[in-house]
Amino acid sequence: MTTLAAAPVVVRGLSKSFKSVVALQDVSLTVGDRQFVTIVGPSGCGKSTLLRLICGLIPATSGDVSVRGRRVTAPITDVGMVFQAPVLMPWRTTLDNILFVAEMRGESASRYKARALELIGLAGLAGFEQRRPHELSGGMQQRVAICRALLLNPPLILMDEPFGALDVITRERMGFELEKIWNLSKTTVIFVTHSISESVLLSDRIIVMSARPGRIVQAFDVDLPRPRGRELLSHPAFVRLSAQVRACIEDASMAPV
Amino acid sequence: MKLMDNPAVANIVKSTIAFAILIALWQVVGQLTHAPEHIVPLPSKIGEVFVRTFTSQLHHLGATGFATVCGLALALVVGVLLAIAVIYFASIKGAVLTVLAAFNSIPKIAVAPLFVIWFGLGIESKILLAFLLAIFPVFVNSVTGLGEIEKDMLDLSKISGGNEWRIFTKVRLMHALPYIADSLKVAFPLALVGAIVGEFIGGNRGIGYLILSAQFNMDTALVFAALLSITIFTTLGVGVVVLFEYLFLGWRPSQRTT
Repeated sequence: MTTLAAAPVVVRGLSKSFKSVVALQDVSLTVGDRQFVTIVGPSGCGKSTLLRLICGLIPATSGDVSVRGRRVTAPITDVGMVFQAPVLMPWRTTLDNILFVAEMRGESASRYKARALELIGLAGLAGFEQRRPHELSGGMQQRVAICRALLLNPPLILMDEPFGALDVITRERMGFELEKIWNLSKTTVIFVTHSISESVLLSDRIIVMSARPGRIVQAFDVDLPRPRGRELLSHPAFVRLSAQVRACIEDASMAPV
Repeated sequence: MKLMDNPAVANIVKSTIAFAILIALWQVVGQLTHAPEHIVPLPSKIGEVFVRTFTSQLHHLGATGFATVCGLALALVVGVLLAIAVIYFASIKGAVLTVLAAFNSIPKIAVAPLFVIWFGLGIESKILLAFLLAIFPVFVNSVTGLGEIEKDMLDLSKISGGNEWRIFTKVRLMHALPYIADSLKVAFPLALVGAIVGEFIGGNRGIGYLILSAQFNMDTALVFAALLSITIFTTLGVGVVVLFEYLFLGWRPSQRTT
């Protein structure tokens, strides 16, 4: 019981309705320590709503969320967040955009400068520290957003379709790079996507949700060795699991009972 | 020729040439048609009067400029504060916007005599008229700039631990700066209109007073010379705003060179 209470994220019987629309229905899940969990499902199944509920940006209609043993009633602040859009401040440089989260917390940005530069190097953004977002490509902007989420070493990172706005080629590359970076720190991550290969590539666990009202249909454990590279894409276990997840999603979207 | 490759320099050169052609045309046509001086004076005559009356121009421009800048500064402070109130106290937003829209529909020039009754013939009535004309664009743009911020950006600030003050200074205000700077480019000439109308109504100083007294004396060239003074003044004022944008707001889309 104590292990459950201390787990990074525990969601119990969570439901959320917007007026008469039921977005989420009776969702329960537990995310283990340093686990990379992906939530996949058809568009509009309430994946993003679930993330917003977990970090307390919106209140639940019923049920509750606990993050590291504490019940979430207001926005929690020791969490990193990456959205579908990069959400960078156009007036800030790459470096200052990454340091933004430290400033919001009221800490001196200079204390985190070394850490930010380290992340910039890791994300392949070296040389672009002083550039403004409009001078960066879409993929680079999203890298900045990921660096920003990692800056304060938060114990939990939420990613809401972070590669959804990128082209297929960039998207695949970003997936491999994220896996590489994650292997260095192994924080707890909840990652929302509708790309099946992305979910298999990145996760320890995949949670499949049904179309509205969003419910959890099935969970898959991914037992593939890390670090995972490009060669994994043709690995029989990868192909098999992808097919299973795909079938599960199709069932879930065909019969939304 | 390297210098002409710079689009800003090329722009200045081209506009200067265009102006020079216009004025030359005016001079030539005026001389050929022998237009009466009290109707349309020649540019050469206007230039001569401008130079001759330069100290008096400066004296009057000082009064007008002071009223304009004070009115504009007041409009900036009050307009931004009102916008902040509207953003943070959403319940009063509807009421404030309606009242302001009603006020805005009054032709503000028409209340100028009232201002002279209330605040006298001194500088106060001019400043307040300038303020009254300038506040609306500042307020409207500030509401947009402070308020229309991506929801994700505000969510990010909140879950990063940002309190209202930090979100205000580091997100809302920064987001609003280009909007406010833009509004000043509109508000500056409007404030000038307010100050000059105030001087038309009463008083014995300012460009408005100079124009009115020149009109009484049928000194058309002096009227034009006074217009030249305020044109230079407005251009300088807007130039200051543009310089601010260039130096501090280089990141905004309209400022990007590529």
